[in-house]
Amino acid sequence: MTATTTVAEGAPRREQGGGHHGGRPAPDPWRSRLCRWDLRYSPYAFVAPFFLFFTVFGLFPLLYTGWASLHRIELTSPGRTEWVGLHNYARLLGNEFFWNALRNTATIGVLSTVPQLLMALGLAHLLHYRLRAATFWRVALLTPYATSVAAATLVFVLLYGRDYGMVNWALRGVGIGPVDWQSGTWSSQIAVSSIVIWRWTGYNALIYLAAMRAVPDDLYEAAALDGASRARQFRHVTLPALRPTVLFTVVVSTIGATQLFGEPLLFGGAGGQKGGASRQFQTLGLYLYEQGWFNFHLGRACAVAWSMFLILLLIAAVNALLARRLRQDR
Amino acid sequence: MTATVPARRRPGLARAGRQLHAGPFAYAVLALFTAGSLFPLVWTAVAASRDDTRLARTPPPLWFGGNLPANLARAWGEAGMGLALANTVLVAGTIALGTVLFCTVAGFAFAKLRFRFRGALLLLTVGTMMVPPQLSVVPLFMVIARLGWTDHLQAVVLPTLVSAFGVFFMRQFLVEALPGELVEAARMDGASSWRLVWHVVFPVARPAMAVLGMLSFVQAWNDFFWPVVALTQENPTVQVALTGLGRGYVPDQAVIMAGALLGTLPLLLAFTFFGKQIVGGIMRGAVKG
Amino acid sequence: MTPGYRARPRRRAVFLAVAAVLVLGAALLGGCARGDGGRGRTTVTIGTFGVFGYQQAGLYREYERLHPDVAVKESVIERNDAYYPQLLTHLAAGSGLLDIQAVEVGDIHELATAQGGLFEDLSAAKGVHRRDWLPWKWEQATTRDGRTIGLGTDIGPIAMCYRKDLFRRAGLPTAREAVGRLWAGDWRKYLTTGLAYKKRAPAGTVFTDSAAGIYNASVHGYAERYYDRRSRPIWSNSPAVRASWELAVRAARDGLTARLKQFEKPWDQAYANGRFATVACPPWMLGYIKEKSGPAGKDKWDVAPAPRPANWGGSFITVPKAARHKAAAVDLAVWLTAPAQQARLFERQASIPSTPASYAMPEVRDAHNPYFGGAPTGAIFAAAARAVPTLVYGPKEQQIGGAFTDVGIPQVEQQGKPPGAGWRAAQQEIENAVDE
Repeated sequence: MTATTTVAEGAPRREQGGGHHGGRPAPDPWRSRLCRWDLRYSPYAFVAPFFLFFTVFGLFPLLYTGWASLHRIELTSPGRTEWVGLHNYARLLGNEFFWNALRNTATIGVLSTVPQLLMALGLAHLLHYRLRAATFWRVALLTPYATSVAAATLVFVLLYGRDYGMVNWALRGVGIGPVDWQSGTWSSQIAVSSIVIWRWTGYNALIYLAAMRAVPDDLYEAAALDGASRARQFRHVTLPALRPTVLFTVVVSTIGATQLFGEPLLFGGAGGQKGGASRQFQTLGLYLYEQGWFNFHLGRACAVAWSMFLILLLIAAVNALLARRLRQDR
Repeated sequence: MTATVPARRRPGLARAGRQLHAGPFAYAVLALFTAGSLFPLVWTAVAASRDDTRLARTPPPLWFGGNLPANLARAWGEAGMGLALANTVLVAGTIALGTVLFCTVAGFAFAKLRFRFRGALLLLTVGTMMVPPQLSVVPLFMVIARLGWTDHLQAVVLPTLVSAFGVFFMRQFLVEALPGELVEAARMDGASSWRLVWHVVFPVARPAMAVLGMLSFVQAWNDFFWPVVALTQENPTVQVALTGLGRGYVPDQAVIMAGALLGTLPLLLAFTFFGKQIVGGIMRGAVKG
Repeated sequence: MTPGYRARPRRRAVFLAVAAVLVLGAALLGGCARGDGGRGRTTVTIGTFGVFGYQQAGLYREYERLHPDVAVKESVIERNDAYYPQLLTHLAAGSGLLDIQAVEVGDIHELATAQGGLFEDLSAAKGVHRRDWLPWKWEQATTRDGRTIGLGTDIGPIAMCYRKDLFRRAGLPTAREAVGRLWAGDWRKYLTTGLAYKKRAPAGTVFTDSAAGIYNASVHGYAERYYDRRSRPIWSNSPAVRASWELAVRAARDGLTARLKQFEKPWDQAYANGRFATVACPPWMLGYIKEKSGPAGKDKWDVAPAPRPANWGGSFITVPKAARHKAAAVDLAVWLTAPAQQARLFERQASIPSTPASYAMPEVRDAHNPYFGGAPTGAIFAAAARAVPTLVYGPKEQQIGGAFTDVGIPQVEQQGKPPGAGWRAAQQEIENAVDE
């Protein structure tokens, strides 16, 4: 049936060496049937626990949300549901707030992901040197990752205060006027991104570092013998070897950026779900939350959720396409 | 490694390999980033050691004041931190262990075994990673309510006991790290699938399992959105307890910061004491694509 | 031998891991059988947003003394915008509800109209006398078919808190009667005072905290604001909204405000720094001002009547039908909201009772606030409470109010947009929120 089966059944049995596992009886039909069953069904048993939990706590909510997105459901009167077809989706497409949230999600996503991964790459490069107290640097850079979104955002909100925050105090010291971090479009998006960057840069740096260390030394040696400079080595040896890792981090970061929620919510304080007075930092996650949990339009919130899901699938498809193209080019 | 370096290497030739010592510039940049990483945490402690009025003044406090014990005590009492910490250890520990076990076997099946619908099921798994977590809350809560689990810890544990990311992560790791020959050799020895998992997969997957366990633990520890809906202050996790903090008469910033510190401290301590192992785990278990 | 077949010690590690999962799981299930307060007592649970003060005023302890078979347990979520959605989720699922659930005034109408059937009718409960409550307070929690789902706790009649020291330095009167006369009867006079203050303002200070605060204080003095008495939407043209919007925008454009968002950290910090001279204050805000201004603010603050009577905020307590201990919960709810207990709560928490009988009780009548220069806060707020018109509430009250205070006004005040743009944004916001 499958390759593995063929191997197990068709391959001649090896002679047992020292009888380490006890003598094996001659192939008997019952045993071989057991063996076949094992081969055929074990994989399902392996994935079963995951899919069991996933079905109850993941798939059901997902499908229910899909169903709900085709209905008018209000959290204030959840007993009343009314079929509205694609109305919720049509309404989204014509809604300025939705597009605004989509735009913000994209810009904050770029603002947080690109510097984060670039800095991580640079840091990994530095960490790859022979360093004194190597472990200290690595652990120290990883600590922000241990901080919860809530705790981290709490601190950053204080630091970014307009009138009494430390950032503005420091900026005033170098002659830059106070920045209203929350009210400005760019300033607020930069502030929110900085929280994301702070939490994740060190973690990504370690992942890149691991990948760099897996690059065989002789590749560098060959390049060095060819007279390649350090920068050229980085471009022509390190980066290509890192490509799969970079791809992985890009995928994970993109998913994280699309779902960005806690940081802007808490950064906005009371009414944070709006993402500022002009929705200047409202992400899709916040828009969903606002629709569902503040305006109580559950059906519409579900439509936002499914739209996010579809957007991510689209990104994934494009990503896969690009990856394949890259592989072919190579 | 060093032994294999050919002797004829010209001295001083630029080599991006690890053997190169870091220069002062590298140290300076690392120091800068380290300071940036640590500063917000240190400042949380500074703020927690002051009082509310002092935090309102400019220039902001840059060094510790004397109120840390008092603020920590208030935060501990107001938020019911003792129960919250015990609950969180239980919740995060169970989730981490469950995730590691279930995701490793599932990841192994996806990586090395052939079965019908494998591709479709894997796609489904990866697809779930893209479902925004805010979305499932209402239906999920309906399930939990139907089971009569609101305000019980299993309401927080079970929905996150497996993760699509974990399966994907383990699969990616095992595809590379577990040589097909090893599996086939074990098969030819007549090992059943379960023995195979036990004796071949788990040993090979160990570094990745350690990383996944650490990631799941940290994530479960810091999870906030779902626990706030599913639990109440009566039986909270740390993050839930923190939402009730500063409810004293008027929210007191210094006490809130002390609470944030209390909630983060156990993980920070773990990172300090086991930093080497954690970092080592990430280095060995990181997904190579 | 096949490589990979060594691992005895690892086997033990994995075994330990599996065992740990099982043990933890068992502990988890075992830990779920929570008792009912222990010692055969009924534990009545009560959920509130922010501090209601029952605990602090010792009311639970006293109730437990009166009812030895009952234990009371309070669960607090700091902010209503986290509390209310959770309550709705629990109502929708019919599970997770506490025995008593507090509800904010802006939400009670919505619950009474859409989900009134999910709550106990408290009008018929033993010991409840409708005439104890201010009529408008009682109305707000009553469904169309005459069931009352919530008992009124506190209300929020508005006064004006001001800094005597700053007023003096700006050449304005400082005695509370004289200050009240500056703007009596008309919010526009309040702005005129603000302009006078601005001319001679002490360095680094402004007249008031936030334009949205002025809007709230003004708009809640009108009976019909967002809906008229026949529940028709009037948020785009009601005199209440128009006048209050004009006031707020003028205050912002004239630079009379500190451009702060109320109840946010910078607002707190501005108190400590003495940054503004006046703030419209419901009674529950006095404690906040005291705490945030710190010892340095003692005897600097005082309380004068607001330009026009208004009510901002206040709450109810309800008993959901899905509550575990309904009878005990109703009993406790009735006791907590009785005039005597409301009067005691005022003493501790400065929450003005919704039961006028309390106003004559010494706890309210004779109350003076030492921090606010010994101001007779009981008399001031009780007088304000009596003059408050019967406010008409409608669905999505919070969202509509928020469209003005969190969107329209801050756009003008903090982001410097023209008033027309702010107004349009607020209206668009409302349409988005109410459109079903």
